[in-house]
Amino acid sequence: MDFTLTDEQELLRDTARALATKECPPALVRAHADDPSVADALWRAHLRDWVALGSGSLVDLALFAEELGRVLAPGVFVPTAALFAPLVDEVGAPWADVASAVGAGSRSGTVALAGGDGVWDAGRLVDGPLRTWVLEADRVDTVAIVAADGPDSARIALVDASALEPRLVETLDTTRRAFEVAVPDDAFSGGHPVAEVSRTAVQRVIERATVVVAAELVGVARWLLDTSVAYAGERVQFDRPIGAFQGLQFKLVDMALDVERATAAVYAAAMASDAEVPERHRLVHVAKAAAGRAARHAARDGLQVHGGIGYTWEHDLHLYLRRAYAGDYLLGSATWHHDRLAGLLLG
Amino acid sequence: MQLSWSDEDEAFRRDLRAFLDEHCPPEARRGKDFMGEGVDGVPDWARAWQATLFDHGWMIPAYPPELGGRHATPTQTLLYLEELADQGIVRSVHFGGYAIVGPSLLEFGDEAQRALAPAAIRGDTVWCVGMSEPDAGSDLAALATRAVDDGDSFVVTGQKVWTSYAPFADMCFCYVRTDPEAPKHKGISVLLIDMASPGIEVRPLRHITGAVEFAEVFFDDVVVPKANLVGERNNGWRITMGSLAHERGGLWVEGVFGAHRALDGLIALARRRGLDADPVVRRRLGEAYEQVSSLRSLGYKGFAGFAQGSSAPEHSFMKLATSELRKQLFELGMDLCGPAGAVVDPARAEEDGRWWKGFFVALAGTIGGGTSEIQRNVVATRVLGLPRA
Ligand SMILES: Cc1cc2nc3c(=O)[nH]c(=O)nc-3n(C[C@H](O)[C@H](O)[C@H](O)COP(=O)(O)OP(=O)(O)OC[C@H]3O[C@@H](n4cnc5c(N)ncnc54)[C@H](O)[C@@H]3O)c2cc1C
Repeated sequence: MDFTLTDEQELLRDTARALATKECPPALVRAHADDPSVADALWRAHLRDWVALGSGSLVDLALFAEELGRVLAPGVFVPTAALFAPLVDEVGAPWADVASAVGAGSRSGTVALAGGDGVWDAGRLVDGPLRTWVLEADRVDTVAIVAADGPDSARIALVDASALEPRLVETLDTTRRAFEVAVPDDAFSGGHPVAEVSRTAVQRVIERATVVVAAELVGVARWLLDTSVAYAGERVQFDRPIGAFQGLQFKLVDMALDVERATAAVYAAAMASDAEVPERHRLVHVAKAAAGRAARHAARDGLQVHGGIGYTWEHDLHLYLRRAYAGDYLLGSATWHHDRLAGLLLG
Repeated sequence: MQLSWSDEDEAFRRDLRAFLDEHCPPEARRGKDFMGEGVDGVPDWARAWQATLFDHGWMIPAYPPELGGRHATPTQTLLYLEELADQGIVRSVHFGGYAIVGPSLLEFGDEAQRALAPAAIRGDTVWCVGMSEPDAGSDLAALATRAVDDGDSFVVTGQKVWTSYAPFADMCFCYVRTDPEAPKHKGISVLLIDMASPGIEVRPLRHITGAVEFAEVFFDDVVVPKANLVGERNNGWRITMGSLAHERGGLWVEGVFGAHRALDGLIALARRRGLDADPVVRRRLGEAYEQVSSLRSLGYKGFAGFAQGSSAPEHSFMKLATSELRKQLFELGMDLCGPAGAVVDPARAEEDGRWWKGFFVALAGTIGGGTSEIQRNVVATRVLGLPRA
């Protein structure tokens, strides 16, 4: 396994970092909490130019997502690139026109898949009227509703978001919005585009999105680590920088170790998915579990390193803490993925 | 980024496997889990095995044939270490000679000293490394064993402790103080000391496993020829750093793949003991898998930079992480043995005591070669750039 980035990948990462830092400042992220429409401008002016990454190499998409996570970029990019685009791609020729509109950045979308239990699993698709954890359902153009079909197949309907009345389910995270969607009675009949795909294809999409969310969490964790290390070097107490206290040094080292492990695990999962090696299923679970744990760890201990200032609304740290925890639960928490790993290891 | 090895590297792995199938003795396959059983001198099988590896160019593959290698590339070295650890094979029962002394002699020694390297690597000469002293453990630079210049020779007086292999070593790669006036890092030198010299007394110490492997070594006016000074006088601190670096580049591979093997063992153990449906056991195994797998990826990620000549900060994490993980995994193994977790009775212990023995070996891993706390200090200041305490 060679983790060296190619020149193109380095360029992609650097470009993404510069773009994210410049176009998605903390002020935008904060404004989004009160007025989600501010994310639309970010999408229209910048991120939609990158949405074709959703249909390309997962390594590239993960590198990009990590940078978005680092600035807590809100909006429709992730559901469109990580869920909607790959799902449309799985349908292939019949939806080629949708795919090209998505790739051109002129159509955003999200996927409504998990049922009442909130679990994203192609083996547990539902047929009922409720879909949960539908990301940015009120801001995208199209919602792809996935329903159980035969034991090996699933149905997908493309419904205009404007035809739905999604209900926002508030979470800790003010930078990402999740909805409950009631599936319209005529979703699969009333003239909406409908297609059928295998459950294997659906699972591939879920795994792809899982790696993307893990990559974002790595970006979140890295911001928390970098910010905490920098603060520890500046803040003086007892006549020395607090970063000279071993109690804090050890916390930061252990945080850093988790962040490095998670970074490596995400790249490994992305590479394995691109190469379609059998080990990829395990590696996806490892990546999300490692990233979820690293982000929570960095948030919890990062706040401790900051002391009182970290507990204020004014400091950006809590925005990251919120994303870290909500991000762990999204698409399966670390413990959920551990249990799934056990299933693969022990049957 | 890429996932697979080149055809050439895969061919290298096939050659290695064929060699191991043909030559590796069963004793060498008992592996590291059982190292806690200790070694009472170097057994015949171990001498023969190390020599065979050397003679076939499989001892340190990156080296040229005359030093027991085959000019392997860094990637091939990685494959080599991976394969050995995967099969649980040990190269030697005393790692000081091939892992520390040989490479250090080659890097810092004069011509006569470099000529000692092949025998150190082949295991014909057994070396111990004398660093730690009663008052100089983590704070190695506080070492006080004195070497006084006597014209033609140095006269050494003092004490080393925890010196692995000293009970049966031929030679000692010994850190001594040659300038008591200089600041502590600046007055240290390295001497090659014949363990048969008059004035040396070795008092074996038992490990917590009961085995004898390390010892206290007392030096009382031991005469050491000046020719046995390695590198420049008072410049020994540089050699400490160098010799530890030789060790570190590859140790993580052994750590990670050793952990992988342990994990396979844990899964088999859970099945055999009928615990594979227990939700708590399942979750702990899933978590262990995450830990091992992410660490393996981190090793590769660090190694990719290393292979291209850049220094990879990830390596500094690896000693800390692999040694701590090992403790965790073997402790889990003891748990999975159920009420028999602490049983050592060979007739009743699971798998010949693999889990408790492996756990005891693991307990040394976070102390020897720099404790976990020292590793954290290093990462804090050199990798994260935090201010020194
Ligand atoms: C199995 C085994 C084999 C060994 N083989 C050899 C050998 O062949 N040759 C050799 O020279 N040595 C050998 N050692 C010795 C080993 O290198 C030392 O034990 C180790 O460096 C720690 O030193 P110490 O035992 O004096 O512990 P101490 O340095 O006294 O440490 C005690 C505790 O204090 C902590 N501590 C110390 N300083 C700090 C600090 N600055 N910050 C935070 N915590 C700190 C340590 O982490 C540890 O927890 C061996 C040890 C073992 C266990």
